[in-house]
Amino acid sequence: MSAGDLLHTVTNDNLSAQRVALGRWLVRGSAAILVLVAAAQGAQVAGLRDFGFANWRPTLYAYALWSVCLCWGQVLMRGEQGKRVLFVLPAVLFVLSMAVLPLIFGLGIAFSDWNLASPTGRKFNGLANLAQMWADPFYWNALKNMVWYVLAILPEYAIAFALALLLNAEIRARKFFRVAFLLPLMLSPVAVSWMVGKSMMEIRFGPLARLARWAGWDSPSFFGSPEMARFMIMAMDAWTFIPFMMIMILAGLQAIPREVQEAARVDGASGWRGFWEVTFPLMLPVSLTAILIRIIFKLKLADIIINVTAGGPGGATDSVTSFIFREYRDRSNVGYGTLLAMVYLVLIVIAMTILMKLADRWMRPKY
Amino acid sequence: MKVELYHQAVRAGLTRRRLLQSGAGLGGMAVLGGTVLGAGLAPRAARAQSDLRAEILKIPGVGMGSPTDADWQKVGEMVLDATRANVAEGEFAGVELTFMGLNNQNLHNFLFRGFLKPWEAYTGARINWIDLAQADYNARLQQSIATGTVDFDIIEMGAPFEGDVLGKGLASEMPDWVKAQIDMDDYVGYLKAPVGTWGGKTYRISIDGDCHTFAYRKDYYDSAEFAEAWKAEGDGSDWAPPRTWAAVQAHSKFLKGRKDPLTGLDAHGFLDPLKGWGGFGFYFLEDRATAYAKHPDDPAWLFDPETMKPRVNNPAFVRAIQEVMDIMDTQPADQINADPGTTAFQQFLAGTGGMLTWWGDVGSSARTSDGSVVGDVVGFDILPGSDQVWNAASGAWEDRANEAPNMAYIGWGVYVMARVDSDAKRQKAAWSAAAHLGGKDIALWMSAYPSGFQPYRNSQFQYDEWEAAGYDRAFIEDYLGSNLDSYNHANAAIEPRIPGIFQYYSVAEDELAKGYAGQYKSAQETADAIAAAWEKITDQIGRDSQIALYKASLGL
Repeated sequence: MSAGDLLHTVTNDNLSAQRVALGRWLVRGSAAILVLVAAAQGAQVAGLRDFGFANWRPTLYAYALWSVCLCWGQVLMRGEQGKRVLFVLPAVLFVLSMAVLPLIFGLGIAFSDWNLASPTGRKFNGLANLAQMWADPFYWNALKNMVWYVLAILPEYAIAFALALLLNAEIRARKFFRVAFLLPLMLSPVAVSWMVGKSMMEIRFGPLARLARWAGWDSPSFFGSPEMARFMIMAMDAWTFIPFMMIMILAGLQAIPREVQEAARVDGASGWRGFWEVTFPLMLPVSLTAILIRIIFKLKLADIIINVTAGGPGGATDSVTSFIFREYRDRSNVGYGTLLAMVYLVLIVIAMTILMKLADRWMRPKY
Repeated sequence: MKVELYHQAVRAGLTRRRLLQSGAGLGGMAVLGGTVLGAGLAPRAARAQSDLRAEILKIPGVGMGSPTDADWQKVGEMVLDATRANVAEGEFAGVELTFMGLNNQNLHNFLFRGFLKPWEAYTGARINWIDLAQADYNARLQQSIATGTVDFDIIEMGAPFEGDVLGKGLASEMPDWVKAQIDMDDYVGYLKAPVGTWGGKTYRISIDGDCHTFAYRKDYYDSAEFAEAWKAEGDGSDWAPPRTWAAVQAHSKFLKGRKDPLTGLDAHGFLDPLKGWGGFGFYFLEDRATAYAKHPDDPAWLFDPETMKPRVNNPAFVRAIQEVMDIMDTQPADQINADPGTTAFQQFLAGTGGMLTWWGDVGSSARTSDGSVVGDVVGFDILPGSDQVWNAASGAWEDRANEAPNMAYIGWGVYVMARVDSDAKRQKAAWSAAAHLGGKDIALWMSAYPSGFQPYRNSQFQYDEWEAAGYDRAFIEDYLGSNLDSYNHANAAIEPRIPGIFQYYSVAEDELAKGYAGQYKSAQETADAIAAAWEKITDQIGRDSQIALYKASLGL
């Protein structure tokens, strides 16, 4: 340990050789138990030998024991330094158990032919699911729809920005409007789909249909044509989530010092130039964050679609998630459904990485 | 019985003067009055069968509010004689069983708990319960089977899942004493073998019946204006409720542009649900296709039992799909986004559309639902027939009249799992519990009070019993009659009880949606796309095993 580190050390460690050895044996012993139990269970599953295990719990318990011993062993072996490790290690183990390992299992399933109705169970089938995906018009159609859904974020952002500017201005009942505009965000998308999509837009008695008829549209049909149906889904989703972007942008606007705008005005900037040259660039970091988070929300879009159109008409409103839902849940096609989700995950990771890189570049000050 | 139906009957029973004026009304009053007495009486061991049935119907009595757990227990106690005949008191002491079923509308398992409490007290066995929402049921069952974690001994299950469970040898074969106890000869026609059997062995205790019937607006056919116009513009036939799909088509086209006599809004003909419904929407295309596709000499109609080659793209189904497409322009606006829930509850019952196919719910809801405006103008029949039927064996149309009511979903049953077979005591206990729920007398109570189940035995259609219990005879005959004719039809179309049947339906819905949206060039191309998707599912699940299981389910 360097002298510098000693400044942050509460106690000076004097670790005995027995203590260090005990820690080492704890870690190694528990790891050995874990490996042995897992191997035995693996052998039983493979049909090599029956150890009498009824389920996988013994391996789970061995893993839990190893995790505890690993943490404890750090303190025994490394003293104060080990205690520091304890701030992070449980979280690492948790993430490992709850995210990394399931992801690895998920990958195994994704490359399997596993229909729950099949008597033969799960069978590894290499890249066959990928080939099936490549030739699956429903998946590509859903991906194409997702592009439209994501592009709809741009007008959503413009509306959210406008609303945020309004709510940031000195208007009457500003607090009331701030709360009122937030209300749609507090509704579950399932409630929105029933309340708006299935009730207000019901073509015979729905108030929106009546309004449309009153306005001269003889037989209003909100989900009859592909374009209209897609637009309506976008509108319902936008209505729910514009308040989210609005509140983020509003927070950003309130964080901009008033003096900046005043200085611009003194320099002779018009209202528009003041916004475009000063406010908007200053808001870029908040805007991009809001848009990125909104994209993540949008990529999960499924509930409204499942409830209102079930992906129709003819797949025009299908999202990747709603298609996977049908494939996995209605058709018990676990292997293929998992692969679709994995590919979607990879696409999202790539797209988000590119977006964040671009955002990083855009946000760098030009002056 | 459905909850809404019961409530309506109760409301009607309390306000109807006719009830008090008629002899049946006196009977009804005796029932209402007798409830207080009957409720307090302990069941007599040697009660005559007819007395027992009359007594059961007094629990709690029509018009005495919804039954409670105490009532369910009382009913369970009253029908315990059948168990006493086969099981000694305390015979199952120490046995613990797990029952997996539904909790829809606080019915199903909730009733079973009450019914089985006296059985538990008498036999000494104990039952643990797994309650599932309908939406979770399929996934839970499939996952249990696929992961080898069947953790229940008795299951409430729909017949379409028999392929998944019976086909994999997971269920226990019904002992002969159970067959005698539950009087299986009393089942309506379509629930007799091969339904409930697999490879010649019997597994299912039926507790419910299901079929699609045809509902139509009587006022359309009583309308002098329509009759006159039809005489001038029609095909020369009488203006009467259609008996064939050809007539349904002609009437639907004729009604376009006319005004509904009840609502004054646009009139429409047959209502096709053009949007999927988690697989259940495919039943409605089947309704249109069975008359063309189900040949009386052939039990199979959806797949070829020798090859599992889909028949969904044969001329019979293509004709049905084409007929849907032919009258799409007569449907209400936005019909492309209408699922079966919409066609029944938001359209037909609300006064939009002249004809519909659906389960019995529409029959009961027409009179009982607050949202229904067609209660007095709705009529029922079995599904329309055809003047031609496709013969899959000869590959040609036959000119002959044909009818084939669609037994959509077949109904709920109780099954015992094979894991109890290793222990004779547990096995007898599980079957005894299941038989207690599937008995003839308890069935009468379940069809007369809210239970979530439809009648499934011929003895449940004795209208005198209903009338004596305080129900309006005309109402109950209207509700039950159309079902009875479908159930006992000689050419009823029974769906294939093979693994993954809802996967086939689900993918068919997706392809049909594309076809209806004009993304395929023709009905044939749409049907071919469904067939191709079905072939993939068959290959994935395993063609040979599907063939074997399909044949077993057909009793071949």
